[in-house]
Amino acid sequence: MKAVLGLLAGRLAISTLVLAGVSVLIFGIARVIPGNPARIALGPNATKEQVAKLAAELHLDEPIWIQYGHFVRDLSRGELGISLYTNRPVTTDIAQFLPATLELVLIAGILMIGIGLPLGMVAAKYRGGFVDNLVRIVSLLGVSAPSFVWAVILMLLFAFYLPLFPIAGRIDTEFAIEHVTGFLLVDSLIAGEFRAFGNAMWHLFLPAFALSLSGIGQAARLTRANMVETYEKPYIEMARSYGFPAWRIARRYAFKPSLIPSLTIIGLDFAAMLGNAFLVEAIFAWPGLSRYGVAVILRKDLNAIVGTVLIISAAFLIANLIVDLLIALLNPRIRYARSAR
Amino acid sequence: MTRMALEISDLRLSFEGITETTEVLHGISLSVAPEERVALVGESGSGKSVTARAVLGLLQSQKRVRMSGRIEFEGQDLAAMTSRQRQALRGSRLSMIFQDPVSSLNPVYRIQTQFHEVLKRDDPSISLEDAKRRIRPMLSEVSIAEPDRVLESFPFQLSGGMNQRVMIAMALINEPSLLIADEPGTALDVTVQDQTLRLMRRLVERRRAAVLFISHNLGIVREFSDRIYVIHTGRIVEEGPTDAVFANPGHPYTRALLAAVPRITGGDIPEIDENPSAYEAPRVVHAPAAGVA
Ligand SMILES: Nc1ncnc2c1ncn2[C@@H]1O[C@H](COP(=O)(O)OP(=O)(O)OP(=O)(O)O)[C@@H](O)[C@H]1O
Ligand SMILES: [Mg+2]
Repeated sequence: MKAVLGLLAGRLAISTLVLAGVSVLIFGIARVIPGNPARIALGPNATKEQVAKLAAELHLDEPIWIQYGHFVRDLSRGELGISLYTNRPVTTDIAQFLPATLELVLIAGILMIGIGLPLGMVAAKYRGGFVDNLVRIVSLLGVSAPSFVWAVILMLLFAFYLPLFPIAGRIDTEFAIEHVTGFLLVDSLIAGEFRAFGNAMWHLFLPAFALSLSGIGQAARLTRANMVETYEKPYIEMARSYGFPAWRIARRYAFKPSLIPSLTIIGLDFAAMLGNAFLVEAIFAWPGLSRYGVAVILRKDLNAIVGTVLIISAAFLIANLIVDLLIALLNPRIRYARSAR
Repeated sequence: MTRMALEISDLRLSFEGITETTEVLHGISLSVAPEERVALVGESGSGKSVTARAVLGLLQSQKRVRMSGRIEFEGQDLAAMTSRQRQALRGSRLSMIFQDPVSSLNPVYRIQTQFHEVLKRDDPSISLEDAKRRIRPMLSEVSIAEPDRVLESFPFQLSGGMNQRVMIAMALINEPSLLIADEPGTALDVTVQDQTLRLMRRLVERRRAAVLFISHNLGIVREFSDRIYVIHTGRIVEEGPTDAVFANPGHPYTRALLAAVPRITGGDIPEIDENPSAYEAPRVVHAPAAGVA
């Protein structure tokens, strides 16, 4: 366990450094995008004086490193400034929009792991056979089209032509769920509103599935490839020589050891869904952080851009951290690295 | 005549490739009596491992494998059994020890978990605690002084020799009537290999198991086995009691193998001269010593 904690501390330190680097980068990039944020915010009818006044309020007339200093000072107080788009603190906006995105991405992640890994395992068990080829074709399909294409296709098929699922939004308006965490699935359970929970799930399914399809394909392909390699290992033959049932060998002897190399990539895929969620959210009118992100970029809303990017980077890093932790827990070589005799 | 532990007659085996079929066993016949230790000796690629895997039924499920001939285990024809029946034999009546102990144990489970799985072959409901109670004396029989530390370990935390002893104990804990050892411990250094082979010998004697011992190291074979089969390119070229074969090797290939013995005391693969035409000589059979079936 000590080894795992040490590893965690190291990764945490690196993540903090990366986040600091990202903040500098995005801070600079946001400011070199052409256009004056004060002018965009005030509109074409504002006078020069009004624009200059707002720019001064936003410290836009000062050198960039001074501006960065202001940003760091705000950040240390847990603030990210005011959004010019919503006129509210950026932190308030993020608190409102992030849960919708996280809910979408988490469900998509669960689908990716819950469908992708078993598919890969079944394919590897029947490697070379019909099931294997079927899984390989299906997973290749999943990987070969970006998630927004799947979003459009799924929406047309299962929401438009066959109205099995809702076309847009997170929940039907008849349900008024008290805002506690912002996660509708959690809040509806807290309120004891199981119908609302079901309704939210129903809304989640299509966008989450669209978002997860390439991840499912990737996870299935990776699991299959790693398992097929593991099947050649001497310990598989030994397991066979002991007459263990084929499915037991598949799960305990071929799947588990191959999970370790697969996990890193699956973790990256999972984190990448945060970015892919942008277009899926746009298509399903999902009121998440991604839509907010697009809106603020178009308006050159500096504080909001920096805040959104930072949060998404942080989520990316946290996802990676969790994966590293899982790998350490699964792989005894890491878990016992320092206590080994 | 007593019932044989293992009786192979005219076993032919080939692998189907995309364009051609390669026959690797051209009619092997051999037998192992109960409690007998029989060695199968030959150079690399001669078909030793393939024979062992065929006996265990590990090749029959492969699509590319064509097999004919008869393999009888304790008088029962393996081909006549269902795959479920064959599977039931493995790990309980019939077990195998592999060449590389470290890579043959599952890297992500503790030794105790793997042992537990093996014991469940005979008693599916056995608890981990009961399993450990049965394993500890077995481990001390293979001279493992701290059984609990070993049981708690993962294979990578133990030395190669330790893993080898664990594998021997695992193979024998369900009291199989036939143990197949495919070049056990060739991956280990010579002294360790020697020690573990002694342990294995002691154990099979106590448990009265028959052994099919596969090796290319004639020094070890001489010490370990009662009888020898010499295999060359998928054919048995000479057979007989160990002493008789060593004293009076009849087949040119056996003579070449024996001539290479001084060079293999380090456990290396013998380097023998390429002399295939002379090796085509007919099979040499030494008369069994009096009293042996
Ligand atoms: N799965 C397979 N497909 C095709 N050919 C195979 C396969 N397994 C073994 N062979 C061939 O069968 C022959 C015998 O192989 P085998 O492994 O039995 O040799 P061996 O006597 O055990 O040698 P070694 O001492 O190197 O272990 C070799 O020529 C090998 O190339
Ligand atoms: Mg071999």
